[in-house]
Amino acid sequence: MNALLIILGLFKSPDVYHSTLTYGTLLLLPALGGVISERSGVVNIAMEGMMLTGAFFAVVADLAWHNVWLAVLVAIIAGGFMALIHAVVSIRYHADQIVSGVAINIVAAGLTVFLLNQFYGVQEIGSVAPQFLIPNIKVPVLDAIPFIGPIFFEQNLVVYIAIILLVAINIILFRTRLGLRLRAVGEHPSAADTAGINVYTLRYGAVIASGLLSGLAGAFLSIGLSNTFVPNMTDGRGYIALAAMIFGKWTPLGAFAACLIFGLGQAIYDNTSIIPISPYFLSMLPYILTLVVLAGLVGRSIPPAADGIPYEPGNE
Amino acid sequence: MRHLRFRFLALGVVLMLAVPLVAACGSTTGGGGTTTGKTIKVGLVTDTGGLNDKSFNHLAYTGLLKAEHDLGVRGDVLQSVTQTDYVPNLTHFAAQGYDLVIAVGFDMQVALGQVSQTFPNTHFAIIDGSPTDANFNPVPRANVLSLFFREQEAGALVGTVAGVLEKDQKTPKPTGVISAVGGQKIPPVDRYIAGYQWAAKMADPSIKVLVGYSNDFTDPTKCSGIANSQFGQGSDVVFQVAGGCGNGALQAAGQKGVYSIGVDADQGFVDKSVIVSALKKVDVATFDAIKFIQDGSLPPDYQATGEAPCVASTRSCTEFLFNLKNGGVGYAVDNLNPLPSDVQTAVTNLENAIKAGQQTPPETVS
Amino acid sequence: MATPSAPTTERTASADTPTPLSRVIAYLRPMGTPLGSVLFAFVVGAIVVVATRGNALLAYESLACGGFGIFCQNGENTALQLSNTLVFTTPLILTGLAVAVAFRAGLFNIGAEGQLVMGAIAAAVVGIKLGTWPALILLPSVLIAGTLAGAAYGGLAGVLKAVTGAHEVVTTIMLNYVALWASRYLIIGGPLQAPGAFNASPPVAAGAQLPRLVPLNNNLLFGLPQSVFTAYTGIFVSLFGAAIYFFIMRRTALGYEITAVGQSQRAARYAGISVRRTIVVTMLISGAFAGLAGAVVLSGLSHSLVDTYFQDTTGFDAIAVSLLGQNTAIGVVLAAILFGALHAGGQVMEADAQISHNLVFVLEALVLFSLAANFLRTFKFRLPAFGRSPTQPAELEAQDVVVGAADEPG
Repeated sequence: MNALLIILGLFKSPDVYHSTLTYGTLLLLPALGGVISERSGVVNIAMEGMMLTGAFFAVVADLAWHNVWLAVLVAIIAGGFMALIHAVVSIRYHADQIVSGVAINIVAAGLTVFLLNQFYGVQEIGSVAPQFLIPNIKVPVLDAIPFIGPIFFEQNLVVYIAIILLVAINIILFRTRLGLRLRAVGEHPSAADTAGINVYTLRYGAVIASGLLSGLAGAFLSIGLSNTFVPNMTDGRGYIALAAMIFGKWTPLGAFAACLIFGLGQAIYDNTSIIPISPYFLSMLPYILTLVVLAGLVGRSIPPAADGIPYEPGNE
Repeated sequence: MRHLRFRFLALGVVLMLAVPLVAACGSTTGGGGTTTGKTIKVGLVTDTGGLNDKSFNHLAYTGLLKAEHDLGVRGDVLQSVTQTDYVPNLTHFAAQGYDLVIAVGFDMQVALGQVSQTFPNTHFAIIDGSPTDANFNPVPRANVLSLFFREQEAGALVGTVAGVLEKDQKTPKPTGVISAVGGQKIPPVDRYIAGYQWAAKMADPSIKVLVGYSNDFTDPTKCSGIANSQFGQGSDVVFQVAGGCGNGALQAAGQKGVYSIGVDADQGFVDKSVIVSALKKVDVATFDAIKFIQDGSLPPDYQATGEAPCVASTRSCTEFLFNLKNGGVGYAVDNLNPLPSDVQTAVTNLENAIKAGQQTPPETVS
Repeated sequence: MATPSAPTTERTASADTPTPLSRVIAYLRPMGTPLGSVLFAFVVGAIVVVATRGNALLAYESLACGGFGIFCQNGENTALQLSNTLVFTTPLILTGLAVAVAFRAGLFNIGAEGQLVMGAIAAAVVGIKLGTWPALILLPSVLIAGTLAGAAYGGLAGVLKAVTGAHEVVTTIMLNYVALWASRYLIIGGPLQAPGAFNASPPVAAGAQLPRLVPLNNNLLFGLPQSVFTAYTGIFVSLFGAAIYFFIMRRTALGYEITAVGQSQRAARYAGISVRRTIVVTMLISGAFAGLAGAVVLSGLSHSLVDTYFQDTTGFDAIAVSLLGQNTAIGVVLAAILFGALHAGGQVMEADAQISHNLVFVLEALVLFSLAANFLRTFKFRLPAFGRSPTQPAELEAQDVVVGAADEPG
């Protein structure tokens, strides 16, 4: 009861909203990637691995070249490269997409630490200096608005970019020809093929896009919110993004709402110093919440019709 | 047909297993024995934090490297992935006749208790712990050297810095609140925090000390989140006791423009917000332990009262205790240099009192 | 090794002309894909090592040394290395079977780790709280408790799938995290924490412990004090599990139903099989194997519930084990031996060749890629279709899933 009051008390300060938005965005990028990929008909549970790869190479590049923009670019490309593997294996070779996704996650976890060892020996990887991190941006004038300003206008650069991407992807997916085609490929690939749409090209593009977004999220994690790489630092965030995507019923806005719920969970956990509940118990809550919501979504959580099915022309 | 196939497979497996077994009968490897002085072999087994933990595993390795360089010993490292690896990893070095096997971290107490019994002629050392039986009861062994630290003494000194600064309203946003971020609620962490809390309250009885645990020693994002929430609660000095994770707290303090306190090593270089660091010289302890096994030399004033004295000739010893008095723990002034004179005076007074045994910081967080 | 209901056309063809050579090929054919993918993984892995200026030959030699005690450079003891491999292999067989039985039904149990943790927790509770019971009753109780806890936890995902259509991949991922945090909660400040310990439960009673293969004393065996050989009788429990799996899949109607549902839910339904019931039962069995794995390790090796599961990968390695073993009992056992050896070997590789043990995970992923993508098409092998058959029209199948969940009440 006491704990509940303390938690409710947190909402009087803008801090908890600010953190919720930050953590929510970190999940939003891979979740958007998942939406795009699955809308095109390719199941993607590999955001975790793509994000981890992005996080690793962002730090490697930033330490090597002392240029944060180059580092972000490298992270995005690294995420995209992992996605390309997933795309080739699952589109070209018709592999089971879940197995391929699991393999991507395992290889990312193993390869990043292996390379950490090969590149830096058993020495520490080192930390990125503050001036080479992705900056926090205060929006002039707007940041002065009481309460609202600190929440929305004192965020990391990536947060603003992610919100723009969210709007853009929502428009592209539901208001443009490209989006229509992408969804067609995910629902009725053979019909789309007959209508002259290149199923493979769109699917490749969508999967790679998911990797680019996840790579950006990785950079945000390692050289935005943090300043170094640690083994397995994504810590399941890619899986949470996956759950958020399903929560959000494969729509960008729905996924964002779900990401904010998970972000709130993390934001509340941050206050563990003043909440008199076992932190381990607190850590369990977002996952239990997900299960409850999943169980409640009876018959309403329907993936794109051709999600997970490799497309083989003439196999209809 | 199917039966034949299984038989074929079974034959394959049997061959695969049998060939090395036969080979095993030829090879013999005995337990280690100490060769006096000269080139000894030292094996270091990390806990699951691994060498990149920016904390005690890393510092222990630094000590090993120094010993390789200065003492000419041969050092090898095994990083444990899970707790299940502790016994095989310790056994690996002991079985190959290493002269000294160092277990890093209190997490390995049970495993060490088991392996040190198996290899009574091999020397072992353990950082932050002592060998125990399966019920976690300490079992002192002549061949195991425990390296303990009085972290609470170092914590008390930096706690004094925070407390006096807060009382003088010389912190960035003086509100009478300071905080600590611990990696996990385990004794080596809590000893630091206990000393910190105790000394800060002694300096400023009205002070509020927030304590949060990240349950993580590596991921900076977790600790920065907890630190930021503490800043939101009014804290303007944060003490990190969470290794690489805690570096996130230092970074967060820098971004918020408040003070932070480093841990284990001198962390002034990590962030400009680091005013002082609490030192725990795991590297020195590791080096001293290796040197003791190699030539019997003891570090200064290393022993706690009541412990059996170490025997240099047989290299047998149960405990090295590193405290303020022998320099095994301490503090370093970083980016608030020099400290305000009254702060410096308070710290020096407490340091002398602890060294003289007039003050004893507590071991557990109240 | 192929499932009984799906003989491949190639085998039939070779049976028509039984020359000695074609017979040998027929025997080897089912092993072709797995062996090929392992070879593929090692070749690509070697390229990765060389590309990062490592010594691939030394890496693989030390890996073989750590796993099987062969090609050792630094006088490692062969018997000790084999014992270590056996320790890793023991739970991998059971988790491998857990994932395999789900695969057979077209389900992807990514939650073996969570079920393993729940099994370990239940085993610890029984082994500690009922420690006064005689060993003859206590030991089986511990193992059964773990099995039931794992079954219940797996069954939960099965029920969610059958009743609400929630995809088991997502639910089991969530259940994994819940189990992991639960284990930590119990032993750090929670009700199972041992006095004097900081992140562990007390050890289970002696009667709850699976015996070691060699007694715990310092008599010399293969040149070493025999207490170093931590291999334990859990391996027999695992092999027994494999036999049970073989029996269920080959000799029972349930096994047939599971396979039928895995091949086509639609066809299974026409054949009068309750798809929902089969999904739940499959997940119960799957969870039972994984829970038993947790209980076996706790009872035979760790004795206490310890804070290790966040790093433990037994439940995830199981995916590679079951796929490499082509979801057959003997295949899973062989694959578990291979991966057990790789994990045991990884540590020695790190010590002797200064190559991170994480190379093992890279190899594991490469095996998965190779199996999933079936790069080596010389040997035909099709993965089970997860909930849907790729040969069916997409639209029909998707409706099938949704409608199917609705038109089969209870």
